[in-house]
Amino acid sequence: METLAAMATVFAQPQLLLLVAVGTLSGIYVGAIPGLSVTMAVSILISFTFAWDVLPAISLMIGIYMGGVYGGGRTAILLNIPGAPSAIATAMDGYPMALRGEAGSAIGISTVMSFFGGLVGIAALALAAPVVSDVALSFQPRDYLLLALLGLLLVGSLSEGSMLKGVFAGAFGIVIGAVGMDPLTFTERFTFGLPDLRGGVSFVAVMIGLFGVSEALAQLHHVNKLAIKQAIGRIMPSWGTVRRHLPLSLQTSTIGVVIGALPGTGGDIAALMAYDHAKRVTKHPEHPFGEGAVEGLIAPETANNAAVGGAFVPMMTLGIPGDAITAIMIGALFIHGLNPGPMLMIDRPDMFWFIVGALLAANVFMLVFGLTGIRIFTKIVEMPRAVLIPLILLLSIVGAFAVNNSVTEVYWMLGFGVLGYFMKLYSWPLGPIVLGVILSRLLDENWRRAVITERESIWGLLESTLTSPLSLILLIAVLATILSQTPVWRKARARLRPRARRP
Amino acid sequence: MHDPFPSRRTRRPGEAVFAVLMAALSAVLLVNAYGISGLGALSAPGSVPMAAAAVMLGAAFVIAWRTMRRPRAEGQTLHRDVLPGRILAITALLIAYAALLEPLGFLPTSALFLILSIRLLSRRGWGFASLVSVGSLVAIWLIFRIVFTVLMPSGLVPEAELIQALRDLTGAR
Repeated sequence: METLAAMATVFAQPQLLLLVAVGTLSGIYVGAIPGLSVTMAVSILISFTFAWDVLPAISLMIGIYMGGVYGGGRTAILLNIPGAPSAIATAMDGYPMALRGEAGSAIGISTVMSFFGGLVGIAALALAAPVVSDVALSFQPRDYLLLALLGLLLVGSLSEGSMLKGVFAGAFGIVIGAVGMDPLTFTERFTFGLPDLRGGVSFVAVMIGLFGVSEALAQLHHVNKLAIKQAIGRIMPSWGTVRRHLPLSLQTSTIGVVIGALPGTGGDIAALMAYDHAKRVTKHPEHPFGEGAVEGLIAPETANNAAVGGAFVPMMTLGIPGDAITAIMIGALFIHGLNPGPMLMIDRPDMFWFIVGALLAANVFMLVFGLTGIRIFTKIVEMPRAVLIPLILLLSIVGAFAVNNSVTEVYWMLGFGVLGYFMKLYSWPLGPIVLGVILSRLLDENWRRAVITERESIWGLLESTLTSPLSLILLIAVLATILSQTPVWRKARARLRPRARRP
Repeated sequence: MHDPFPSRRTRRPGEAVFAVLMAALSAVLLVNAYGISGLGALSAPGSVPMAAAAVMLGAAFVIAWRTMRRPRAEGQTLHRDVLPGRILAITALLIAYAALLEPLGFLPTSALFLILSIRLLSRRGWGFASLVSVGSLVAIWLIFRIVFTVLMPSGLVPEAELIQALRDLTGAR
């Protein structure tokens, strides 16, 4: 009963509902404007919600996340430019559909199917999270240490291009996270004697710099590029079309949830795997895959929205982020005094169920906004970058300043912005830095606690890990993840399933 | 040999310098991390920072080495492909913004920043730049000052009085 009441909070308070709606709407637009990522939007917005109560702040952020994942598919269909990584697979059949003059119906069906996928993801979150967090309650420091390592191994999937550069970025993130007073012994770390650094580098300033400023600077390279326009026809899909594809969408949603819940794999991989699955199970598509098959659009769109709910499972129950956005969400929850992890379900079950409710509301708004206002939408997406980029930069500055009402954070943000610009330019991944910052404390504290428990003995730590079933499972998961990222495994998989390769 | 992640075979202007700088940064951080608690206990406050900095240094060293061995990209110049004038100019404007924010206040600084950067990027006239800038600045100010209640330095503009006048006008408390 209390569960239901907590879930209904968002629907009962018009102000919260409005914030979810505003968040979803802006998420759709931000996700759709090429060059503006959801990660950027969430990072900049977090700082503005500092002064707010936790419920309104979360409502807004969840709306943006949900809307953004969906919005990325829009530009994939209309312009063949995925607005977000999770929309890469959407472009493969969505854009050919638009070229055939079916842009409207492609957007319609992708909206309805995203809604469906989102529902499956939320249901999975509601069912799985309590169970997972029950198990997580018996975790020892060494288990958290292993979990943090597992989360860090995410760099493998976050660093497209060079694994080594990803490793560097992840380690750099850990160092950034360690700056300031050590919480256990109050030793100063990496402060270089500067009093300003004792409190640490502001996470929000780092994030806005890396995802807001550096992206805006990089976009300056093609500031005068023009967008291509598409005609929009009928939008609402027929009930028959939806019903015919229901079995497929259920399968692809399931793929989305499972892949989304695994640490290290997010909506982008879920969408690609679902696309591959659809290709194998659809025997007679109306149009061949790659040339505008509806099935090829449905699969990634259900999967990436289902992955949102999936990604919330490890985030809420273990405090381990599934991708860059969930990493930022964890940071946001910290700032609002919540501690994502198994204790959250015990201390604040209402908060968990509130989030489930907010996700549900965001999903409904996504459906409503997705099926309306598409013509205005195409106008806004065509907003000239010469105006857009200065505005993003201004918002980034306001966001960084709002962290502490001081210019120090603005300088940090600019520093990380310039660093991020060069990293982007020379293809060093940025995602792992945020991951490192988030996991830094978890890794550091639990490593030290675990070692102290074993009286400073590595062998003792190893022995207790091997004798506890839970730790052993986690250790195997860590080793398996490492193995799956080595070239040997990749080669074997490429040989077994040549079609599963990324485009 | 088959390479699952085909990397660029050439290096862009400045790429090697950047990699060396990253290695140097890692070295500084490693020395600093050693200074936290030395090579004492495994659970010392400096152990994880030291390990992380060591990983950074190792990775950066290998990256720098590999980058330097790649041939230079043909037809790319530092000025055109890495640091075009626009990016330098906008970065300079950003630094100027941070410096002027407290003495001048949020509204004048932002107006200056927007007008100059939009004029620079859009290649349109001052009229267009000023109109768009002032319009969007008013919208941003209303949203952030009133909805998000973010307090920016007011500087030259008497913001508090302005808001009071606005409230009197609308009859709100």
